[in-house]
Amino acid sequence: MTAVAATQLAACAHCGLPVPAGRDTYCCSGCEIVAGAIAANGLEQFYALRERPEPASTTGRAYTELDDAAFQRVHVDLVEGGMAHAALYLEDLRCAACLWLVESASRCVPGTIEVRVDLGRSRADVTWDPRLTQLSRIARFLDGVGHAPHPYRGLDRDRQRRREDRALLIKIGVAGAAMGNLMLLAIALYAGVFGGMTRADATFFRWASMFVAVPGLGYAATPMFRTAIGALRAHRLHLDLPLSIGIVAGLGWGALNVLRGAGEIYFDSLAMLVFLLLVARWVVLRHQRRASTAAELLLALTPSRARRMDGKVVVEVSIEAIVPGDRLQVLVGEVIPVDGMVVAGSSALDVGLLTGESRPSEVTVGDAVAAGTVNLAAPVEVVATAVGETTRVGKLVANIEALSARKAPIERLVDQVAGTFVKVVTLAALVTFLAWSAIVSVATGAENAMALLIVTCPCALALATPLAVTVALGRAARRGVLIKGADALERLATPGTMFVDKTGTLTAGKLGVVSWRGDLDAAALAVAVESGSAHPIARALRTYATSPHTATQIEEELGRGIAGTVAGIRVVVGAPPWVRARASAHPIIEGWIAELAERGETPIVIAVDGRAVAVAGLADPVRPDARQALDRLVGFGWRVELLSGDDARVARCVGATLGIGAERCHGGADPEAKVAHVAAAKRLGPVVMVGDGVNDAAAMAAATAGIAVSGAAEIAIETADVYLRSPSIGDIAATVCGATATLETIRRNLRLSLIYNLTAGALAISGVIHPLIAALVMPLSSLTVLASSLRSRAFREDS
Amino acid sequence: MIALYIVLPLAILIAGTAVAAFIWTVRSGQLDDVDSPPLRVLFDDSPPRATDDAAP
Repeated sequence: MTAVAATQLAACAHCGLPVPAGRDTYCCSGCEIVAGAIAANGLEQFYALRERPEPASTTGRAYTELDDAAFQRVHVDLVEGGMAHAALYLEDLRCAACLWLVESASRCVPGTIEVRVDLGRSRADVTWDPRLTQLSRIARFLDGVGHAPHPYRGLDRDRQRRREDRALLIKIGVAGAAMGNLMLLAIALYAGVFGGMTRADATFFRWASMFVAVPGLGYAATPMFRTAIGALRAHRLHLDLPLSIGIVAGLGWGALNVLRGAGEIYFDSLAMLVFLLLVARWVVLRHQRRASTAAELLLALTPSRARRMDGKVVVEVSIEAIVPGDRLQVLVGEVIPVDGMVVAGSSALDVGLLTGESRPSEVTVGDAVAAGTVNLAAPVEVVATAVGETTRVGKLVANIEALSARKAPIERLVDQVAGTFVKVVTLAALVTFLAWSAIVSVATGAENAMALLIVTCPCALALATPLAVTVALGRAARRGVLIKGADALERLATPGTMFVDKTGTLTAGKLGVVSWRGDLDAAALAVAVESGSAHPIARALRTYATSPHTATQIEEELGRGIAGTVAGIRVVVGAPPWVRARASAHPIIEGWIAELAERGETPIVIAVDGRAVAVAGLADPVRPDARQALDRLVGFGWRVELLSGDDARVARCVGATLGIGAERCHGGADPEAKVAHVAAAKRLGPVVMVGDGVNDAAAMAAATAGIAVSGAAEIAIETADVYLRSPSIGDIAATVCGATATLETIRRNLRLSLIYNLTAGALAISGVIHPLIAALVMPLSSLTVLASSLRSRAFREDS
Repeated sequence: MIALYIVLPLAILIAGTAVAAFIWTVRSGQLDDVDSPPLRVLFDDSPPRATDDAAP
């Protein structure tokens, strides 16, 4: 269990995760910086407000591009009083505490008039006084407290969605008002049946009911009519079809009966039906709204500005101004803005975004580099060969979009039921009409057939899925599992093949020291030598140990090793061949090097005073809960396979740790190969792809369902059907289990509502139905479905 | 029961006014964001410590 490991390590003061050896108080530099910014601004109340602790991240960028005149022309508008306003997209906005933290910018940054957050859209509207402060200053504050801002690119889409949301809300309001008033009128009418009401009064009430019901409900139910007509045109059956038939029959028949002054009216039941359906629809819609789309993310993956070298002068220009052939300078920590070739300098790149490879790739003059990769070690100069959409990452994003669009909609369970339902009810109505016409009269036949159409209007059936799904999504969200909708749940409910990406999913996604052979004291010396280096291996060593020493006479050879003098002793740290050339290595050391390399780790040799004394094994460590989660999935009937961009040997090694056989570990898979693997497995059954990076996003789009885990790239989150907000992959098993339980609940709800429809239908066919019975049974059936949904064991705390 | 013939249309008229008011609130954007405002009322108004220094 992980608890054992957790108790031995201190908990991070910001997020509560275990603090790795070599760090104190905070688990990572992100948490440390963010906690520092929170304390410096006196915002400690944040810790009392938040619901669940989560690790923070910050970019530490200067955001000077936000003050650029070109940027301001597009994104900033002037409001009254000479104030400026801009919309920003903020990362990691999750709960009340984030909201509070971000909005406190107006008190902490002088000159900020107001910051207003819209949690659902991850959007912040910032108003500031341009004479007192700059947008970059506010952006730095937001970044400092862990919410990196980006220019908000979804304004048009937001406007469109806002129009849709408002239209639906107005219909809900109209339906609700109609329902309330119709019920008051109906109570009078029902009371009149028993208490004796004059015929004139009753007629007046019936006319009043019609006056409210026909325009009110006719307007409010337009979304259902539209879907029903659309489905009919496409020759598909949709649940809205029986609903529309019921509503139209009820309104039409009721109005006819009011006009002719005889027969029953069902306006009150219909009003409740329309109101409940609209509310259910709105709740589901709210769960499905996401803040960003794939198309807008290409720009977020690559920087918006680049450093162009015009002769010897470096000019910062917007990325649109770059053409192939331009010579660009990329500093340490910057994202490479174009596909190109290195013409000066050498460095290590983090190419994980594109390939999923966890180890940095070394590049030197003549090597090709790709846009979206991060320069880790030293400044380089690059000549652009492709820019914008023609870059590899650009093509990848286009591919992801195309695959997502092609994703076939699944045949929803409820629509299958609805199809049969329409046929059965129409047939039953026809039979009822003919039988009663033959036995009694055509009028009675019409009356009973209409009553059948109205009372079997599948209200509970229509609520069965949205209620079960809403309960499941709400509970899952509280556990940190964000599910995009009913479809996603249905897709996850059938076991099949599950492909799991290694880096960032099963492993921590960061290079760390996982084994140490030899003299432990050498660690401190190695850290002293590496203390000034930005190389990922240096970072891994610094996380592993601390050092009281300082090194002098440091010489670093990029991608090979580093040497320095610590307290008069020469210390050499680096790749085996480089160290061998500078120090003697005992056969035991050589044995260790071979052993670690065999296990898929990167061996780093430490030599002290001309003699190799220790070997560190660097790898991406497996998450502590991964084994348990995978075993649980296998227990549910899933076939789990490893699909990684890392070296095949590394993939097999991780697979062995987790009990995945070598034949089910696919290493060295680039994004295209991942899609191919997924497509091949899809012919055999449902495929779920679990991953975190851009390199997994295309495979996620191609799979039946995609799951993105915590820390995933935005595009992976966008493509995925499920996003796990906690870093624990144990939630994958919980999600699959919850999806199965939700589908069980949906089936139970469908059965319950069908029983109601059967009973009401039988009463109507036999001619003993009365509007009062319909008015009582309809809410009863809806309440039964609600109770059944709440009782569901999907995503319960104890599951 | 003659009063009914005046009161009932009046009641429906009032309900209609309420619906019109609701439609106005939706159109003026007051219900666009239903997630953040209910959280915002939970926060205390007390200024952060950083600005306390300036207070007497």
